[in-house]
Amino acid sequence: MIELIGVHKSFGENHVLKGVSTVFNQGKVNMIIGQSGSGKTVLLKSIIGLHEIDEGQIIYDNRVFSEMNNKKRKSIRKEIGMVFQGGALFDSATVEENVMYPLEMFTKMTEEERLERANFCLKRVNIENANKRFPAEISGGMQKRVAIARAIVLNPRYLFCDEPNSGLDPKTAIVIDNLIKELTQEFNTTTVINTHDMNSVAEIGDSIVYVHKGEKWWEGSSKEILLSDNNELNDFVFASDLMKKIKNSGF
Amino acid sequence: MRIFFHFGRYYLLLAKVFARPEKTKIYFRQIIREIDKLGINSLGIVIIISVFMGAVITLQSSYNLENPMIPLYLVGLTARDSMILEFSSTIVGLILAGKVGSNIASEIGTMRVTEQIDALEIMGVNSASYLILPKIIAALLINPFLNIISMIVGILGGYIATVITGAIPAPDYIDGLQYSFIPFYVTYSLIKTVIFAFIITSVPAYHGYYTFGGALEVGKSSTKAVVYSSVLILLFNVLLTQLLLA
Ligand SMILES: Nc1ncnc2c1ncn2[C@@H]1O[C@H](COP(=O)(O)OP(=O)(O)O)[C@@H](O)[C@H]1O
Ligand SMILES: [Mg+2]
Repeated sequence: MIELIGVHKSFGENHVLKGVSTVFNQGKVNMIIGQSGSGKTVLLKSIIGLHEIDEGQIIYDNRVFSEMNNKKRKSIRKEIGMVFQGGALFDSATVEENVMYPLEMFTKMTEEERLERANFCLKRVNIENANKRFPAEISGGMQKRVAIARAIVLNPRYLFCDEPNSGLDPKTAIVIDNLIKELTQEFNTTTVINTHDMNSVAEIGDSIVYVHKGEKWWEGSSKEILLSDNNELNDFVFASDLMKKIKNSGF
Repeated sequence: MRIFFHFGRYYLLLAKVFARPEKTKIYFRQIIREIDKLGINSLGIVIIISVFMGAVITLQSSYNLENPMIPLYLVGLTARDSMILEFSSTIVGLILAGKVGSNIASEIGTMRVTEQIDALEIMGVNSASYLILPKIIAALLINPFLNIISMIVGILGGYIATVITGAIPAPDYIDGLQYSFIPFYVTYSLIKTVIFAFIITSVPAYHGYYTFGGALEVGKSSTKAVVYSSVLILLFNVLLTQLLLA
């Protein structure tokens, strides 16, 4: 479980996060939705400590992460897997080196043990025979899956994904969504996903936080979201023609 | 006012770069890579440019000698001292600022905008140190060699020019090379090279590291990196010359 209490973050004059409080539960896919520029990525990066927050608290299962120094944070960092928006695979390293990297940093495993673990994770995300290839040589969907393999290689308790299916075709997007859902249940992780894709929300979202201009505007389940009478949320959810039709048909 | 902001942030970045590394083995591997990438890969361009510059300096000073009272060996002396004092340190430094500087800024800038730096940080790696320190160390180690090679090859270029064109007799050129040689000039040149090596790597790394945005900004960072490191080289050239030769 991860708890946010009144999180504020500014960059100079730009007040991006304005007091966000919420709870992300274990074994669930927790989604953060909102328009581009609403502060989703900043929120996610603040939760994992890539941005220092200005005010508020971030608590990982009763451990107050936001008040720890870098050394203490390392024990929590070990339990975090993060899938960045573009995958963020290291260009100069092969697929297998990418997945082995966190093991090299955080464990005392031998080269063989690391390779074995990396292969296990690559297999789990259905990547085979690509070990020696470089990120630039594989497709976007494969890059995302390698990034997921790298994120789960340390058996994380907490899994974060920033727009995991942006830039993917709808079919591949569903594959990735389902993979994240399965991993969440398999390893009982506290999973937090940023997205602006309503399909994902309907498909795998357990609980939803809607962020609007850096504030938590609404929260609830993926069923409740369609019934909400919040104006801004409705504008966001029913922005596409397809969703409008679904709404008018009385779902 | 912005200059103070940049100076402060550059200083803080360097503090992060020189923080004690955690896994020295990985650093060692990176340094070897960077020596290859920054040093060995620049050897070709340094040699080509030095040969031609040595030749041109020699020809120009030969053809400008109209007064028969001036001894011909002065051409060799001029070529030698111009190469050692200015060319193989400052001009080579400027050329490397273009080649190596833009390479470093765009590499680190790309890693920033594609969140590879964030990925390193989340794995508990000091990204500044991991990405930048090996480059600085590699350049500090390898650039003095490039400097020496440039001196030798440049002087050789002058010799070849005298042989081919007969602008002055080759033996006079050789005489000039040996005439009143001041060994400290080489030391001076090496000191400049080491300082320039630090500028050429750390300033572009700074610009890359603080890139914000996308591909367009990476391009801008790369341009800025070359401009700022070139200007700093010229500035430090004056300062060091006053300090060391005055
Ligand atoms: N490192 C940063 N420095 C300054 N401003 C930033 C930084 N990261 C994000 N921002 C700003 O924060 C705001 C929210 O961005 P972001 O969280 O990326 O939006 P989203 O992910 O919801 O599309 C934007 O105005 C962006 O310019
Ligand atoms: Mg985003």
